[in-house]
Amino acid sequence: MDKGMIGLGAALAIGMAALGASISIGIATAKATESAARQPEIAGKIQAMLMTSIVFIEATAIYALVVSLLLVFAF
Amino acid sequence: MEYLGTFFSAFKDQMIEKIKIGNIGEEISEAIVPNQVFSFQLGSVHLVVTDAIIATWVVMAGILLLALLFGHNPKRMPTGQRQLISETLIMLLMKLCRSSNLSYEQSEEVVPYVGTIAIFISLTNLSAMIGIPPPAKNPAFPIALAFFTLVYIIGMSIRFVGLKGFWHSLLYPKAMLLPFKILDYLIKPISLSLRLFGNIFGSFILMEFIYLIMPAILPGVVGLWFDLADGILQGIIFTYLTVTYIGEVIEGAHMAHLAHEEGHPA
Repeated sequence: MDKGMIGLGAALAIGMAALGASISIGIATAKATESAARQPEIAGKIQAMLMTSIVFIEATAIYALVVSLLLVFAF
Repeated sequence: MEYLGTFFSAFKDQMIEKIKIGNIGEEISEAIVPNQVFSFQLGSVHLVVTDAIIATWVVMAGILLLALLFGHNPKRMPTGQRQLISETLIMLLMKLCRSSNLSYEQSEEVVPYVGTIAIFISLTNLSAMIGIPPPAKNPAFPIALAFFTLVYIIGMSIRFVGLKGFWHSLLYPKAMLLPFKILDYLIKPISLSLRLFGNIFGSFILMEFIYLIMPAILPGVVGLWFDLADGILQGIIFTYLTVTYIGEVIEGAHMAHLAHEEGHPA
């Protein structure tokens, strides 16, 4: 198969996933900071929730990373 | 002057030769293949021992030594630093369990397994610091861990809330969602293992790439995140997710129980 097209596909896969994941982590962090500033007494709980959601958001980017690594090394 | 010109052109040619993608791809492809240290014949089975197996067994021996060192001869009033360190670590894990809906007694039961998993994953990932490729870069290692953790999650949930409670937690928000909840249990191990594998494999390849293109100062700086911090973080995240999954089942069973009582007042 054409090696250049595989590279392009891998780069597109990880690039789009990183775009989405970074935007959503940014939104989540912004909202968490806002609510922690509004109610500093539950800041610890908000931080735990933020950690959970960031881990789940990050998972999508990791899947894309695995897919692009497979594209590069398996084909 | 002429000498300088030829020097630079030769240097440029050599750099282009070195940075050519095909060459680096080959070297990285060599790096990601598991290193076979030795192999032996056991009956009719041909067993291959890779460096990942040796690394995990060394880490297991290290954990055993640490446990003997830190858990030996506990006192009611801690006198030395050893017991204080181990107590702090356990209190940290207890706090994590308490914050995800587990009661004190349940946390006491869960902490030994999840603490071991956290220390095991963190230490095996740290083997990249001393030049041994981390075992988690082979997919078999995270898949085995995730499978055992799934069995542990389901077993502990059933032990805490009973078979009936577990069934109610599957039905919790709406009974219509049952297929998705079952699908969720299939996706949990995939997600756990792919997260660990993807992070470690990605950072391993990136570090190999950096070692190839600039072996001088850069690996030491970048490795602080990719080898040290990310490795420990992945162990903590694995533990955190295990505890969260158990807490989810307990909360679901509890909410379903409350809804049941409201629907049918005694």
